[in-house]
Amino acid sequence: MSTPLTCSTGRRPDGAVVLTATGEIDMSNAAAFATALTSADGESDGAPFVVDLTRVEYIDSAGLAVLFPHVDRLRLRSNRLLAPVLTIAGLDDITTVSEES
Amino acid sequence: MTQDRPAGAEVFAGGGDVGRDLLRVDWEQTPLGPPQQWPQSLRTAVSILLSSRFPMWMAWGPQLTFFCNAAYRRDTLGRKYPWALGRPANEVWAEIWDDIGPRIETVLSTGHATWDEALLLFLERSGYTEETYHTFSYSPLRDDDGALVGMLCVVSEETDRVIGERRMATLRDLGSDPSVVRTEAQTLDFAGSQLGRNLRDLPFTLTYLFEPGGVRLAQATGVPVGHPLGHVDKWPTEVVARGDAVVVPLDGDRPAGDWPEPPDEALLVPLLQQGDIPYGFMVAGLNRYRALDESYRGFVELTAGHVAAGIASARSYQAQQRRAEELAELDRAKTAFFSNISHEFRTPLTLIMGPLEELLTRADLADDSVRAELEVIHRNGLRLGKLVNVLLDFSRLEAGRMQARFEPVDLANATAELASVFRSAVERAGLTFEVDTPPLREPVHLDRGMWEKIVLNLLSNALKFTFTGGVRIAVREEAGVATVTVTDTGVGVPTDEMPRLFERFHRIENARSRSNEGSGIGLALVKELVELHGGTITAESTFGEGTTFTIRLPLGIDHLPAGAVTSPSSTAAVTSGAEPYVQEALRWLPGAAPATPDLPPTTKAPATVLVADDNADMRDYLGRLLRSAGHIVQTVPDGQAALEAARVRNPDLIVSDVMMPRLGGLELVAALRADSRTAGTPVLLLSARAGQEASIEGLEAGADDYLVKPFSSAELLARVRANVELARLRNHHSRWRTALIDSLQEAFFVCDEDGVVIETNSTFTDVLGFGPEGLPYPPVHPWWPDHDTDPAAYEQVAEALELLVGQTRGNYTIPVQHRDGHRLWVAAAFNQVADPDTGRRVIVGTFRDVTDEHYAVQRESALAALSVRLSQAESLPGALSGVLPELGELWQAKRVHAAVFNGSGPPTLVTTDEYARWDALTPERRQALTDLRDKPLLTPVADEPGRAGIALEHPDGTMVLSLELREKRPFTEQDRTLLALLAGHLGQGLHRIHQIDEQRETALALQRAILGPAQLPVGFAVRYAPATRPLKVGGDWYDTVTLTDGRIGIVVGDCVGHGLEAATVMGQLRSACRALLLQNTDPAQTLTALDRFAAQLPGAMCATVFCGVLDPATGDLTYASAGHPPAVVARPDGATDLLDQGRSRPLGVRAAADRPEAHYTVPVRATLLLYTDGLVERRRQSLTVGIDRVVAAVQQGRGASLEELATDVMDSMEPATGYDDDVALLLYRQPGPLEVEFPAEATRLAPLRSTLRTWLARCGVDSTTQQNVLVAVGEACANAIEHGHRQLPGGLIRLRAAATAHTLHLTITDTGLWKTPQPAANPHRGRGFALMRALMSEVTVTTGTAGTIVGLQARISR
Repeated sequence: MSTPLTCSTGRRPDGAVVLTATGEIDMSNAAAFATALTSADGESDGAPFVVDLTRVEYIDSAGLAVLFPHVDRLRLRSNRLLAPVLTIAGLDDITTVSEES
Repeated sequence: MTQDRPAGAEVFAGGGDVGRDLLRVDWEQTPLGPPQQWPQSLRTAVSILLSSRFPMWMAWGPQLTFFCNAAYRRDTLGRKYPWALGRPANEVWAEIWDDIGPRIETVLSTGHATWDEALLLFLERSGYTEETYHTFSYSPLRDDDGALVGMLCVVSEETDRVIGERRMATLRDLGSDPSVVRTEAQTLDFAGSQLGRNLRDLPFTLTYLFEPGGVRLAQATGVPVGHPLGHVDKWPTEVVARGDAVVVPLDGDRPAGDWPEPPDEALLVPLLQQGDIPYGFMVAGLNRYRALDESYRGFVELTAGHVAAGIASARSYQAQQRRAEELAELDRAKTAFFSNISHEFRTPLTLIMGPLEELLTRADLADDSVRAELEVIHRNGLRLGKLVNVLLDFSRLEAGRMQARFEPVDLANATAELASVFRSAVERAGLTFEVDTPPLREPVHLDRGMWEKIVLNLLSNALKFTFTGGVRIAVREEAGVATVTVTDTGVGVPTDEMPRLFERFHRIENARSRSNEGSGIGLALVKELVELHGGTITAESTFGEGTTFTIRLPLGIDHLPAGAVTSPSSTAAVTSGAEPYVQEALRWLPGAAPATPDLPPTTKAPATVLVADDNADMRDYLGRLLRSAGHIVQTVPDGQAALEAARVRNPDLIVSDVMMPRLGGLELVAALRADSRTAGTPVLLLSARAGQEASIEGLEAGADDYLVKPFSSAELLARVRANVELARLRNHHSRWRTALIDSLQEAFFVCDEDGVVIETNSTFTDVLGFGPEGLPYPPVHPWWPDHDTDPAAYEQVAEALELLVGQTRGNYTIPVQHRDGHRLWVAAAFNQVADPDTGRRVIVGTFRDVTDEHYAVQRESALAALSVRLSQAESLPGALSGVLPELGELWQAKRVHAAVFNGSGPPTLVTTDEYARWDALTPERRQALTDLRDKPLLTPVADEPGRAGIALEHPDGTMVLSLELREKRPFTEQDRTLLALLAGHLGQGLHRIHQIDEQRETALALQRAILGPAQLPVGFAVRYAPATRPLKVGGDWYDTVTLTDGRIGIVVGDCVGHGLEAATVMGQLRSACRALLLQNTDPAQTLTALDRFAAQLPGAMCATVFCGVLDPATGDLTYASAGHPPAVVARPDGATDLLDQGRSRPLGVRAAADRPEAHYTVPVRATLLLYTDGLVERRRQSLTVGIDRVVAAVQQGRGASLEELATDVMDSMEPATGYDDDVALLLYRQPGPLEVEFPAEATRLAPLRSTLRTWLARCGVDSTTQQNVLVAVGEACANAIEHGHRQLPGGLIRLRAAATAHTLHLTITDTGLWKTPQPAANPHRGRGFALMRALMSEVTVTTGTAGTIVGLQARISR
């Protein structure tokens, strides 16, 4: 059984592609997450897109590793739980930490 | 093994006759039962006993059933064999049970061996109560369980030695009379005082003397004066008077000596006198506790012999006294006789010589022997005449009555004529003779008679002292002086003797000459005569080259008294006065007299007499005379020859002249006395020198008698007879001395200051095998151990020799080699003394064979050492590695192998080498050890030099022991016995250790079962310290019970007391409590139920118990305490709680109401401690103080892991002298640690996180820290999955997480190999590692061959 993760892609009102992940990301489902990212990247067609991790409870270096190829066009939304990891990974400059969760 | 042997026979195999007789014993009737059912220890003991050649007996079992071996049977048991076998020891030795019973009791109660030396025991083994002495040791025997069940006695019977020494002491004391001269009464008193000191062998003695008036009681010992035993008519005097000994039975009142019961018999022995009826007899009361055997009889006879010798000596001293007075009288008469010597001799001499010459010229004298006798008479008549004439000349000279008549003489012619008389004698001596007498121009005035004496004396002198070369006489005239020189190439005169050369009666001592005959007046007379002529005589001599005498005579007559000058006479040039000189000279020459034939002796008890005289006639004469008296005679021409002859065959008497060439009589005596072989040979000196001084000189030199020439044949024979008899009497003493020394039980030797052994006795020969025929034995003595094969023993003996020659007294014990090669140990004692004859320092020593004692001591100490090793050992291999070096040291072995053959596979090898493996041994060695295995058990094998081995039983199978000896020294019988004994002991010891081992294992398992759960739930730590060693349990306990609802019952209890008894109570209480808790799941109810149980269980009253039920999920604790000290809780922030609610009375104390119960919630990361009062209770200290201390200890250790904390608490609370009560403690920290194990698969990560998250929440950790921990653990696990197990799918990963007050400890263990992170090559993984570092306060990675361990720590914010 894989680690639970659901990814859905949508667009914000301003048209930015938003990939919303729910669940946990580790080495067991990092590949699925990567696929979702690539698809979202392609969908945004060269424009920056948003990955919303506010409903992700866990991400480790396997999950971070699939974020890095898209880092130039990527904006992250995260929760406080994930903030230390994203900060350590050097992604804090593209991350907005949502306070609500 | 043969099948048809009776059951149990193998126990007695090797026991010979005794073994067979043991087999016949009806063992069913003894407490030991049939041999096949005997325990191994008994079988071992019996086989050691039977295989030993040392006398041994043993007792085994409740009745101390008796066993013995062949040596014991032979030496000690006597008629009690075989009756004694299998009987109770107190029946066998009923008569001495009072003596030995307590000793055996001691051995059996204490386990310590006894040692008794020469203990007097009265045995009933020979049909009478016998005085015996034994040196023995009782050693304990243990059964298979190590219990004392019997004893082994190694015994040496010492009866012969003790009694022999006692008797010898008496004989030695008898011979120790310090005074030389005693009267008969003094002698008897002295003997009496000595005999009275040995009332064991001589309970009483009575000494009677035969006297002209009848039989007189002269001395008594052990009997009061006037006792009826002293009446002589009690004794068969006529039998002892004949010289026979007789045994007489005794009755009536009689003294007992040193014994409880008086003698039943007395031995009458004669006091023997040489060649006569006995002096008397001695009655010796006989020790009833010893048989009158040869040795006892010999002792009494030697005693009597000594008394007789003392009487003989006293009486002979009186006789000698009388004879000395007679001799002095004789001497005075002789002196008077010789002082009256005068020319009156000449008349009888002339009357002898005249008819004699007449007879010799008669043609009808056909009998050659008669002629020979007559010639002897003639020659000696001439000589006597000559001596008388010389003496007369002197007396005339002295008196001034010498009337010289000087007439003109042709000196050359007259001298040549005189010289020619000597020519034949000189030439027969093989010398050249030159007469150089050219005619002188004028005659010289001489007294012809006197000149003749001058020339003949000088020539005779020259011949006497010249052995090679020649003699020359020459006449010259120069400056009015006629010169006559007599020159020889003889021995010469030492320079210091020259001034006294012409002194009257002076003779040069020790000059080598053809004869020592001579009066010492020849040259003095010559000088006097020359001076009468108005001339001078001088001598020049070079010692060793020759002498020249020069006579100077003035020519003319002016120097002569006027009335003495006459006209020439017609007297012949050579007178008859020349003949004695020539005859005498001829007698000096070899071959002059025929060899004296040995005539057969004519008496029945002939004496051998050696005659030494340089005068052949005297030799012949003495020879004939002594032979005619029946003696066996040997004649020799001088002292040297006599000495050599005496050394070859010691005669009964030596008759010697004083003056002899080569070696004189006095020197001969000195030489004889200096040689121990001839020191006692009597010497009778003959001398022409009369007078008191001469005889004293002779006697001082050590001569036994002195006879002055001339002597009568009767006088000579009387003296010879007296001296021979005296010598025999005296030799009786020396024979007695020899007999005494030979009868010593101890070996005796005399050696000189260089250690050369010069005298020994028969015991010496018995002990060492080297007899007197080999004397003298210079060091290195042949009994020394071989230097090459046994250098240590050799060195010991060399040191002893140094002691012997260096110290004035001392003793030593050394190993020696018997002539047949076997090894002995002897204990020697020695003393330096001065030889009374020579004054030289000699060493007198005795020694005895202490081989048995030596080996007994060695055996005892070896056994003791072995026992110590065995008792120290806790395991079989430990026992062997302790024992092998001990054996190695005992035998000076290079190495010792022990191989245990335990069925299949290679044997287990233990050696004294540091490391050894069976397969590292040479094939030969392996084979040798394997061969040894198949030999009979406990039978030493020493087939090849330098090796010895033995097989014995090991609990795992047959074990062989093999010794590799350092030197290729022989492995003796004693070595074998010792090896068998030690191997037997070792086998038993190993067996015992094995049993103890098993018992301990069992005990430990049982104790562990009593104590507590084998498996604690996670999150607990326990400690237990029993107060009583070596027990592992006591009266305290702890317990955890997992209840069905997931809660955990925790119990700590304490029964009254400690030790085994408390432990058994504890075990039951613990089990009961556990069962009740499982049923009730309620602490108060459980304790109440336990009260009822405790009431039924003796010893359970007043036990205290803390019983709680803990919900590990929430930390909720319900508890009740039955009089138990409160539990302690230390919160993470350092606050502490005492769980002192829910208290009531200890167990079994009647309860008025229900036991109360209390509730408590253990905060997260708080530490809970349950304990027993042993941890905190101290004498003279309030319990509160102890509790405060333990609270502080827990509080301080709240940051440590539980195990560390448990150890710290035990250590910090322990008193300096250790805990004196049982201690149990139980620690719990909320929550318990998390332990998860999962396959190394990525899909397992999410559930793991879920579990970990829950646990972290229970730990009260904030969400950030939780997330940090989750990511760090996730990275570590991902690494393990990706890297550690990439090549090994399906491996397991283990996570352990535990909390302390402020820290989380996490450990992730995998079984794979991690690579050191290399971010450049693998940026992704490097990131994972960086994450861990960043998120955790401490990260450790330990990679080993077995896998990788990642340790993570995270601080918990307060």
